[in-house]
Amino acid sequence: MSDTHTPSSCSLACTVNGRAVALEVPAHALLIDVLRERLDLKGAKRSCDMQVCGACTVLVDGAPVSSCTYLAVEAEGAEILTVEGLSHGDTLDPLQEAFIEHGAVQCGFCTSGMLMSARALLAEDPVPTRERVAHHLRGNLCRCTGYSKVIDAIVACGRRPEARA
Amino acid sequence: MNVCRALPVALPPAALWKLLWDVPRIVGCVPGCVEAREIEPHRRYAAQMRQKVGPIGLSVPLDVTVTEAEPDRRLALQARGRDPVIGAEISMQVTLGIEAQGEVSVLHLEAEGRVLGKLGALGHGIIQRKAEEAAAEFGARLQRAAAG
Amino acid sequence: MLRPFALYRPTTLPELGDLLAEHGGDAAIYAGGTELLLLLKEGLIRVRCLIDVKRVAGLDAIASDDGAVTIGATVRHRAVEQSPLLLERCPLLAGVAAHVANVRVRHVGTVGGNLAFADPHSDLATICLAFDAAMSLWSRGGERQIPLAEFVLGAYETARREDEIVTSVRLRPWPQRTVGAYLKFGVYERPTLGVALAVTMSPAGQVSEARLAVGCVGPRPRRFTDVERRAIGATAADLADAAKPLADATAEAVDTVDDLHGSADYKREMTRVFVRRAVAAVAARAAGREFDERYAHAVVV
Repeated sequence: MSDTHTPSSCSLACTVNGRAVALEVPAHALLIDVLRERLDLKGAKRSCDMQVCGACTVLVDGAPVSSCTYLAVEAEGAEILTVEGLSHGDTLDPLQEAFIEHGAVQCGFCTSGMLMSARALLAEDPVPTRERVAHHLRGNLCRCTGYSKVIDAIVACGRRPEARA
Repeated sequence: MNVCRALPVALPPAALWKLLWDVPRIVGCVPGCVEAREIEPHRRYAAQMRQKVGPIGLSVPLDVTVTEAEPDRRLALQARGRDPVIGAEISMQVTLGIEAQGEVSVLHLEAEGRVLGKLGALGHGIIQRKAEEAAAEFGARLQRAAAG
Repeated sequence: MLRPFALYRPTTLPELGDLLAEHGGDAAIYAGGTELLLLLKEGLIRVRCLIDVKRVAGLDAIASDDGAVTIGATVRHRAVEQSPLLLERCPLLAGVAAHVANVRVRHVGTVGGNLAFADPHSDLATICLAFDAAMSLWSRGGERQIPLAEFVLGAYETARREDEIVTSVRLRPWPQRTVGAYLKFGVYERPTLGVALAVTMSPAGQVSEARLAVGCVGPRPRRFTDVERRAIGATAADLADAAKPLADATAEAVDTVDDLHGSADYKREMTRVFVRRAVAAVAARAAGREFDERYAHAVVV
């Protein structure tokens, strides 16, 4: 039986950063807007708005997606992870620690996207090579730096057992 | 975009000149032109152009002004318009030169145009192609109109 | 914000057909949305509803039957990349899928959506041509198959009618003893050029079949059968020596277009350069050697 979603009433039930969420969203709502405006999770940034730069990256059931070009309704029943979900209280995720340790953050605008992409990579390939990290990060653009410290951080994190999710 | 084409037409220059001013018949020859009307004879016309670029439909009301008219020899016009739905702006300069070749003519078409807006950026490569195809099609239809 | 639309989620093809018939041009078919949502965001198209095909049964399988491999329309690029079946039967396709766009698009975008959108600057159609791909289309009136080469008519233009949807693409895996390479080049998000080359070597060590496809540089990707013929009979060493003439012949015949990814002349020249490199890669692999060359702004698969 197909369900018809009218513009005004799609119910969206999912978990966001481990917490159950139930919202009414229009069919045309984009995930980034629901996260930023309805759930006050400003970590994902609207930057290029055309899924090229990666600043809006969030994980949906572990898969990195461009939340700027992803309908919120697609998250139905899924586990969403945003950068806000990486840390637990005052405890940073090993990836965040690694980024700090390796100086991988300058203005910080691309950072949440970098972290989320890295998180997805490490879940799949716990000890990635530099080349693998660089390939995976091809869709995350940074205008401040030369990427090498970001890659250093992720490679280093990969070698630490507690980083493996 | 830029198109130059020499189009043979089986009509003597004077008859071809007359055909070019025959709005209903010329509308049928211009690919994408769905209607045109005369506002000021031999000076201003309004035309509606429709074209598809993949899934994107373009519908532009064009304001056409004749800038030069040398009977049986040369015609130059300017066309401008904007698709309000997708925000694409079109501007074109077209010159038509008639070269006599005995009993028949060659119509020298030179068209230079620009599409501004998002479609212009995305469609850059396609627009030139489409313009070339449209010019060829115009030539073919004009031949048929001349014969009919 | 997108303009509002209704979202329909049929679970069978007949339901989908009814929706298409009801809404016609006011509806857009929606799979991954990686192209569609961009067009909607830019306001380049306007629709009243989206018809989500991801819940239609039978469109998301990768299957093998009587020698051919079929990839369902809603299969994601990521699934192609990781499919054990494709890694075994069409490894170069799986390899190319790993480099489509970026990792997010690979997780969300679909094979059917990509081929149906026919963006010239894309890898999938080019590599699929090298596998003699055929598209399956379904409508309420029936099903039909059409070779990919005939399906793609031009930039963003396909032979799909408004009442049809792409259900799958069927590929002919290469015979044993086939070596291939895919080279893509460009500095932008989408490739400026893609070259797919594969040769089948006879037991005597000579080319018995060749496939050369070039895409991205013109309105549609193309096979170059005249150039392919010239490779027949060559040994791996002959092939290496023939890189330049084969590349020149391809550059002569290729249809290139000026656009924001490069001028027509530049693309013609890059076709020459990258076909030469592709031949070098394939010749090395045909001789049992690794090909380790790397080129700026290019990926060698």
